[in-house]
Amino acid sequence: MSSDVRFTDFKSDKQPTWCPGCGDFGTMNGMMKALAETGNDPDNTFVVAGIGCSGKIGTYMHSYALHGVHGRALPVGTGVKMARPDIEVMVAGGDGDGYSIGAGHFVHAVRRNVDMSYIVMDNRIYGLTKGQASPTSRSDFETSTTPEGPKQPPVNPLALALASGATFIAQSFASDALRHQEIVQEAIEHDGFGFVNVFSPCVTFNDVDTYDYFRDSLVDLQEEEDHDANDYEAAKKVILDSEKEYQGVMYQNENSVPYHEQHGVTEDMSEIPDGAPEDAMDLVREFY
Amino acid sequence: MAEDLNWAIGGEAGDGIDSTGKIFAQALSRAGRHVFTSKDFASRIRGGYTAYKIRTSVDEVQSVVDRLDILVALTQRTIDENLDELHEGSAVIYDGERSWDAEIPEHVKGVDVPLKSIAEDAGGSIMRNTVALGAACEIVDFDVEYLDEALEKRFGGKGTKIVDNNKEAARLGQEYVQENYDVDHLGYDLETTDSDYVLLNGDEAIGMGAIAAGCRFYAGYPITPATDVMTYLTGRLEEFGGHVVQAEDELSAINMALGAARGGARSMTATSGPGIDLMAETFGLVATSETPLVIVDVMRSGPSTGMPTKQEQGDLNMTLYGGHGEIPRFVVAPTTISECFWKTVEAFNFAEQYQTPVYVVADLSLAVTEQTFPPEAFDMDEVEIDRGKLVDEDEIDEWLDAQGRFRAHAVTEDGVSPRAVPGTTDGAHMSTGLEHDELGRRTEEQDERVQQVDKRNRKVETAKEEEDWDYREFGNSDAENLVISWGSNEGALVEALDYLEDEGVDVRVISVPYIFPRPDLSEEVEAADDVIVAECNATGQFADLIEHDVLTRVKRINKYTGVRFKADELAEEITTKLAEEVPA
Repeated sequence: MSSDVRFTDFKSDKQPTWCPGCGDFGTMNGMMKALAETGNDPDNTFVVAGIGCSGKIGTYMHSYALHGVHGRALPVGTGVKMARPDIEVMVAGGDGDGYSIGAGHFVHAVRRNVDMSYIVMDNRIYGLTKGQASPTSRSDFETSTTPEGPKQPPVNPLALALASGATFIAQSFASDALRHQEIVQEAIEHDGFGFVNVFSPCVTFNDVDTYDYFRDSLVDLQEEEDHDANDYEAAKKVILDSEKEYQGVMYQNENSVPYHEQHGVTEDMSEIPDGAPEDAMDLVREFY
Repeated sequence: MAEDLNWAIGGEAGDGIDSTGKIFAQALSRAGRHVFTSKDFASRIRGGYTAYKIRTSVDEVQSVVDRLDILVALTQRTIDENLDELHEGSAVIYDGERSWDAEIPEHVKGVDVPLKSIAEDAGGSIMRNTVALGAACEIVDFDVEYLDEALEKRFGGKGTKIVDNNKEAARLGQEYVQENYDVDHLGYDLETTDSDYVLLNGDEAIGMGAIAAGCRFYAGYPITPATDVMTYLTGRLEEFGGHVVQAEDELSAINMALGAARGGARSMTATSGPGIDLMAETFGLVATSETPLVIVDVMRSGPSTGMPTKQEQGDLNMTLYGGHGEIPRFVVAPTTISECFWKTVEAFNFAEQYQTPVYVVADLSLAVTEQTFPPEAFDMDEVEIDRGKLVDEDEIDEWLDAQGRFRAHAVTEDGVSPRAVPGTTDGAHMSTGLEHDELGRRTEEQDERVQQVDKRNRKVETAKEEEDWDYREFGNSDAENLVISWGSNEGALVEALDYLEDEGVDVRVISVPYIFPRPDLSEEVEAADDVIVAECNATGQFADLIEHDVLTRVKRINKYTGVRFKADELAEEITTKLAEEVPA
């Protein structure tokens, strides 16, 4: 790993096809800066991307990467990290990918507490399919498939994470570049599953959850409030507060024991001998 | 073949039928006898008829037959379920003191042993099955001491007292029969030999094959009859630096396994039909991202939930064609329990050499049957590992483009691209389920699309040329009658040959372990007058393939009752089928 890695090393030469002004630009920049800042380089980093606008991130970043099946990015990241504890694993996806089709995996990835980061670009809309309600869309948000709004409450991903036993829960805003980068950096450095829900506005299909909306409403838990992220009760309070939108680290369990420590999974599994393991005949003798 | 004995214990699920049967099977194995076991069971933990059956001989046994010699019946239903298989000379061991009035068929010898009372004398009624084992030993003139080692293996973890009590229970059972019955005239006398055998089932053989092949990561979701693969690997894989994860569902299991493979580990998942349906979602991604992955399908009766604890070979088309779009793949199908080991090893090599998903298709009969083998059948020195075009930092340069970017999906003559695992300097690259260029980046450019499709398909063409896709052959190779089969039917077919020989019917058996690519049987079919394809499904999925390959009609034997072929029954079916006209 070289010490002079710059964040642009994580940039591929493919030009993003995101709409001009898309929140995903800022989200990705912060991710690349955070990776560089935490001492990683493209050859020791694995990015797993889901499906949707957010999923294109694997193409625009430069690292080892897999752009997989809709909703299954977290299991892929889990497998990579277990096989290669030496590799930095970052999973990226959107609100549809993570909280709808992949919601089941989200709950269990949180429970497993694998030492990786999960960055969700939450724009509260399906953008790539041209504007349908997402699991985080407001209940009165009118779209082509929900003309009168979904008429069901949006998923609160932070609460879902908390209820699933998360050890790191944070939220950031793509447009607040510095804070976003800091928060992602903390997620990377966290010993365990670092979950960041990023408000990443869709300028094309969502005229409600806009840059202006977040700029006006966001309250920073660390810079504006005196929030103690290690305080579970305090975390619960802000996470369940439906009146306000927060950014910052909501919760961090200081005693987090990541999966690999719990289970003693520490070896680089890519290295194997040229034949069967030396004592493999013992396996046969077990069947006497 | 030397004389065989067919023994069974049956009762309610939860009666300890399985573990009791296994103890007897191990004892026979320790005595140098070959063993082939089968199970009748329902998919519930308690309640419902269940039985553990053992066929044993000093010669190799590889099938069940329609005959039962000794039956330990803990319930009346056990007797009723097996009525047809009991014969003159069969003995039924039962406990006359229990509440049910045993109705023993007239032609069968009833051996009433107060199992529960004797067990209580030995230290607890829970040992009544062990008493029955002792009683069975006496009837077949088998030294009760052979049970000792198996009892130690089974109960050793519970302390010496429990082990000793069980040994005592077995002896009391044996003595009771000796004192109260004259069983000599049944004529059983179990010969023993000095041979050392190991006793294992197909799931265990698959798991052991995976470890031998260097598998380091396994993710799975519990499902009958594939769960034993995961159970076997749990704890053992860890001893070799690997890890087993129980995923939240099969979607996750295959994606975790895929992730580990992208990390460079030899990686595997195993499931059964319903799980294969879910995994089909990711199957195409595995292939287009050119990720080496072994996927085991231990088939059970379908469709849908079907008969989860029953035999069927119904997933052949699913593994051959499953997944949207056109997906290059390999499908191998072990035909015996020892082949479950070797085909798994081979599957890992295919996966890495050709960077494709490889299906290992086994079936319930292989998974739940335990069979004896000499340990040399699993000679670990014979295991070869070929990791294909895995490149390290010294080799990577020749695969970088002018801008220094790694060509992970480089178009090559044999279709196989170089593979760099994370951490390899200059190897950083993207892979995706989207159509992509050589660098792994999305493309919809027509030439690149065609190049990548062709390259992926070319890997299979290369493999067709480079690898041996041999079949296994039994009987008379010049016979005018040819029977073709696949999967676990091999054992029954091989034994059916003995019955057919007695009838004067000359048969050549071809057992095919490779479904795709597969051997071309045109010449073999051409050379035969009569061709039958036998398989455990209703529609003849393999027969369809053969007809497609050789452009001629074949006769079919299809069994889809949920029960595997039995050697004697199969021999009869073959004789009948040979007399029929070839379908138009």
